[in-house]
Amino acid sequence: MDSLLEFAKGPLFRFSFAVMILGLIRVFILSLINGFEAKSKAKDKVIPKNFVTKLTLGFILPIRAFRVKPVYSFISILFHIGLLLTPILLFDHALLFDNSIGFSWLNISLSGTIASNLTLFTISAGILLIILRISDKKSRFISRKQDFLWPLLLLVPFITGYVCGNVVISPLTYKTFLTIHILSGDLIFILIPLTKIAHCVLLPISQWITARAWKFVPEAGENIEKILGKEGQKL
Amino acid sequence: MVAEKIKTKQKSTVKIPEMKYNIEKTPDSDRVTQFLNIFAAILKESNYRAALDQYTKVSAKCARCTTVCHVYHATQDVRDIPCYRSELLLSVYRRYFSFEGSLYARIFGGFELTEEHISKMQYSFWNCTACRKCLLECPSGIDHGLITHLTRYILSEMKLTPRALVISTREQLFGLTENTSAIPLIALKNSIEFLEEELFEAFGVNIKFPLDVEDAEYIFFAPVSDYLMEAETLMGIATVLHTAGVSWTIGSKYFDAINYGLFYSDLVLGRVLNKMEEEVKRLRAKKVLIGECGHATRSATFLKTFWHGDDNPEIVNILQLTHKLVMEGKIKIDPDKIKEKVTYHDPCNIARQNWIVKEPREILKSFCRNYVEMYPGGADNYCCGGGSGLVSIDEIRKYRTTIAGQKKAEQIQQTGAHYIVAPCANCKKQIRETLTDNNLDGELIGLHDLILKAIVIKGAKQDG
Ligand code: SF4
Ligand code: SF4
Repeated sequence: MDSLLEFAKGPLFRFSFAVMILGLIRVFILSLINGFEAKSKAKDKVIPKNFVTKLTLGFILPIRAFRVKPVYSFISILFHIGLLLTPILLFDHALLFDNSIGFSWLNISLSGTIASNLTLFTISAGILLIILRISDKKSRFISRKQDFLWPLLLLVPFITGYVCGNVVISPLTYKTFLTIHILSGDLIFILIPLTKIAHCVLLPISQWITARAWKFVPEAGENIEKILGKEGQKL
Repeated sequence: MVAEKIKTKQKSTVKIPEMKYNIEKTPDSDRVTQFLNIFAAILKESNYRAALDQYTKVSAKCARCTTVCHVYHATQDVRDIPCYRSELLLSVYRRYFSFEGSLYARIFGGFELTEEHISKMQYSFWNCTACRKCLLECPSGIDHGLITHLTRYILSEMKLTPRALVISTREQLFGLTENTSAIPLIALKNSIEFLEEELFEAFGVNIKFPLDVEDAEYIFFAPVSDYLMEAETLMGIATVLHTAGVSWTIGSKYFDAINYGLFYSDLVLGRVLNKMEEEVKRLRAKKVLIGECGHATRSATFLKTFWHGDDNPEIVNILQLTHKLVMEGKIKIDPDKIKEKVTYHDPCNIARQNWIVKEPREILKSFCRNYVEMYPGGADNYCCGGGSGLVSIDEIRKYRTTIAGQKKAEQIQQTGAHYIVAPCANCKKQIRETLTDNNLDGELIGLHDLILKAIVIKGAKQDG
């Protein structure tokens, strides 16, 4: 157990964290390249900037979120805030970062009650989101496996983390929970760039990419006819 | 209340009419291979890959888009959920054209494109009116209008486009009349002459529809069906331009603004615009003026893409020009003429990106005392239900007016307006049919039709 724990919070943590960062950089850069390639191939390069900005900021900030499904949006926003703040700002996490990558933010980290309340908020929001997804016919119909599994997986480190930090348990149980806590965290890091969670870096450029894709390549239509051997055909 | 009535009537008694459009004969070779080959060619040459790559990675499946789609609103059929429909194409992209997807499929298996899947796409993507309202609510930034456009493009290369649209487009590109309504030049001239006579009779003033004037400020392209169906709109436009002394012309060689390419094919879009380009160059007009038509205006903005050279002309919609003329005081409209309640329907193609939204409102408010907004309106408007070419498919009229047009019918009823102003040839036909088929009150009218009723013309005889 001890060696597994050491492995999970040492080398595996460093590895998975690196996979996440490099993976996210990769998907982001690929999307950027796609967008700029579209720009270079298009003849008309002017996109509706105000519209793109309005929608992009509208969902990042997220002022537009409440226009429809306000309850769902509110819970989802709480969940996102919890997901982002808790892992980063928790004192013990800051310490972990300090120990393993030699860089941290110990002085602004959260400890004690704020952190555990935030964790509880996040757990409740996550559970509510799953319930909403399952109970609504529309959401259920369009959901893939990962849409149900992600919130579940995300809750694992939160629940185990909460237990370790707030419940009096035997040292062995504590260690087991802590190991699960860290292992699940590592797994999440690795999966982030490969799944829909990549939206954490991709969202800011979605609207821009859409606007770019609407700018067509002048010769594309005729070239496609050539590739398909339909040159000169009349529709 | 009335809206409620329509809704309950819909839900309880009316079955969803089939949305099955007719196509021309399809070639019988392997459709799956065909689809993939076409998709591959399009991805190679065009800019769609950027969007598909992004969308397959970010889709949150949050179902927000279901709250605003007028089609889903009416059918409550999960297959009409925007995100579900787009996934039909995205799943093909992911499986066959993305690195991760094809790798995954090789190891674990999973989705395979089938005949059945193609049939599903064939109808589903013509259920969507490509109004792009759902884009406004999608936190992932997925533009279902773009996906619909692209899928229809692929389908069109397999000859799975509604026959009505193909026949019109073929006439426009290769036919003798070179327009979607197959109006011969002689008939156009007759129609123009008739309109001029009507105007003279009404006002005692010679208001012209100039034909083939070289070096004019504006060359005017109307959705050509206006010459058959919207005489008042055209007379209104001619009167506005005459009164303000605008230099304009219609080209006799090519005069149709309709471009179904925006709905189903980039190839068609470009070819039609190249015809427009030729005519603009032939008459050396400075700017392109598009009549009351949303899709025609938006598709004309692609002139910049398809124009040979960099001297592409400015595209102006008649609402923008008339607005400018009203604001500059170059035309006067009598504010005491229109006493009825007036409301305004925003055509998606000019309103969705908040492009031409304030202009028509300012024009209307300048002379309609009893103007009410439709809710929601402007960039948030609902589609008339006939968008993206649906209105031209007569065999699906029932679907259009009872399903796709249901939300618009509710909105119109809520305003209680007498005049419903819709400055778009598509919206006009669709809303008129919706009013008839649902036994609703109200008169559908073009913006310039209404202006014609109240414009002050110098030297005009006094009417009663
Ligand atoms: S584009 Fe319009 S019709 Fe199509 S899915 Fe979106 S809201 Fe519905
Ligand atoms: S709003 Fe966007 S992400 Fe959410 S279900 Fe619809 S298309 Fe998918």
